[in-house]
Amino acid sequence: MSGYAGYVGRRLAQFLLVVFIGINIAYVVTHASPIDPVEQSISAVTSFGNTAPDAIEQMRRSLRELYGLGGTPVEQYLTFWKRILSADFGPSMSAFPTPVGTLIGRALPWTAGLLAVSTLIAWVLGNLLGGLAGYYRQSRGLKLMGVIAMGLHPIPYYILAMLLLILFGFIWPVLPISGGSAMDLPQTLTVEFVGSVLQHAILPALSLILIGVGSWFLGMRSLVANVLAEDYVVYAELAGVKSSRILTSYVMRNALVPQVTGLAMSLGGIFNGAVITEKVFGYPGLGSLLVDAVYAGDYGLVLGVTTISILGVSVGVLAIDLLYPLLDPRVKVS
Amino acid sequence: MLASVAQPHGDQDVQPLLVVRDLQAYYRTSHAGVRRGIRAVDGVSFTVRRGEIYGLAGESSSGKTTLIKSIAGAIKPPLEIVGGSMEFAFLPGYGGLHRAPRAMVERIRWRHLSYIMQGSMNVLNPVRRIGSSFIDFAYPHIGGSRKQFEQQVVAHLARVRLDPSVLSAFPHELSGGMRQRATLALATICRPGFIIADEPTTALDVVVQKEVLGMIRGIQRETGSSVLFVTHDMGVHAHITDRLAIMYAGRLVEEAATAEIFGNPLHPYTKNLISSLPRIGEDAPRTGLGGAPPNLADPPSGCRFHPRCPLASEICSRKVPVMREARSGHRVACFAVNGDDPA
Repeated sequence: MSGYAGYVGRRLAQFLLVVFIGINIAYVVTHASPIDPVEQSISAVTSFGNTAPDAIEQMRRSLRELYGLGGTPVEQYLTFWKRILSADFGPSMSAFPTPVGTLIGRALPWTAGLLAVSTLIAWVLGNLLGGLAGYYRQSRGLKLMGVIAMGLHPIPYYILAMLLLILFGFIWPVLPISGGSAMDLPQTLTVEFVGSVLQHAILPALSLILIGVGSWFLGMRSLVANVLAEDYVVYAELAGVKSSRILTSYVMRNALVPQVTGLAMSLGGIFNGAVITEKVFGYPGLGSLLVDAVYAGDYGLVLGVTTISILGVSVGVLAIDLLYPLLDPRVKVS
Repeated sequence: MLASVAQPHGDQDVQPLLVVRDLQAYYRTSHAGVRRGIRAVDGVSFTVRRGEIYGLAGESSSGKTTLIKSIAGAIKPPLEIVGGSMEFAFLPGYGGLHRAPRAMVERIRWRHLSYIMQGSMNVLNPVRRIGSSFIDFAYPHIGGSRKQFEQQVVAHLARVRLDPSVLSAFPHELSGGMRQRATLALATICRPGFIIADEPTTALDVVVQKEVLGMIRGIQRETGSSVLFVTHDMGVHAHITDRLAIMYAGRLVEEAATAEIFGNPLHPYTKNLISSLPRIGEDAPRTGLGGAPPNLADPPSGCRFHPRCPLASEICSRKVPVMREARSGHRVACFAVNGDDPA
């Protein structure tokens, strides 16, 4: 249908505009930083001993070229976009000469795997339990779950994460407290390696799921409470429609619409890396990479991570906008 | 007792469809140890015969909605059935849907008892196609193959002049009138013996209103259903109901054939209600009734209408008047009409 095609076209244009503006802001912010990475590298080299001044000058020139800092600001800006479009972020300054793309490629699977899986688990569990708790308001077990969710929800995430670390790392040391897998294992697809990855993921995933389930649960429960008061639910009940059918097609189906939006937003946010999670649990993902890059003034790397997350969030929002008309028929596409 | 005059529908030998006896339905709340009771329906008795449209009129907060909620078995706290019974012909011996086993109630709903609700605009699930709603509501009762069922639905939609294409539409894609007719078709597809219609035409403009009323009448004649028709709009009652009961502050005050109520109202409240209706060609201003309907948490003693009644005498604040047959088929609860009750 042409209405939908036009809608997709307009949404895509909007998406490109958002990405363009976002990357520009990231560019301006990193280049406005007072840390000059070239001077930093040079001072790192010169601190080991004397170097001839003309050698330093030559090094400065070649470094500027490598990092895309040669020429006038306009030329620098154009170089920057040329590199972005060819997905080349140049070499990392802090891990010279490894390219930024390689560093991101190494970190991305860790972050995406951990966060995508725990976000999905939290979303499914939280909505299922929250929906049931809203529908069967008399159930004691679900009421208790509501109390637990209420209690978990306001705990600052890093406190909960530390608590889990202390509980399962020190008091009852059954789980590894840091890293993505055991150090001595080669990162190949062996049973041992996968098992180690899973074992290392339990604590960070648990911390994310506990917090996530709590907020999805509370959100879904109050959404369901609102939907229950809608005329179409009351009417279906009066009509003797089977209660399993009412729960799924009438109550949950309507309450889930805003929750799906939330899921897309948090899946897009994955690419930011859960900075705190990865720091607390020493996880080798994008979050850790970003923090280290900021400390080192490695703005090629910062720009790379930022670009990935801008793309991630925008794609998430775009996907939901394109799916929304299918999810809620009342959303007009034209 | 006088022999009853010929009734327009049904005959007296047949068991009535619904007999409500002395129904008391209260809202009971308890806040910080303070118990409050709102006596929304207090001692209501009436009979709905087979094949008639029985009207129930009364102003807002007179207990109409509570009464039909009780009859429909939609009883959720704080609403409570405190006393009385509701005997359906299709559910003998239980004294109301709320006392019957759940499985039995699920079978009865829509098969024997359906419902046209107030605010019919929003009774259809917004994310479900109309056809799916028909399947949810009626298929378990009708059964057979899906194809047969669909043919039956299409034939029934034609009765309310709807095209089969509405089945694949979402509710928001239909106009208000079409949605109303789709709901009407949904409520009558199982040819239920009893239909409760709660303000079904209130939100509609008069043209659509007339059309919908005509359709309700047509389907009711065809299926021989009984309808309990509730609205505050006396004009609608005059148009569609066979018999009419007037409710005031949780009690019935008068009941008779609709034409009799309009031509010869006996209760002072009914008289005021009728005389407040505008008539074409009259330009005298309408006189309203002084005062406001009572607070049902603390209703007046005796006859609940006595503080506003122009005919009130001493006995009215002391004793509760009972419904008595003042004329054939015309019951009224008023000391000024019936004289002092010996009982």
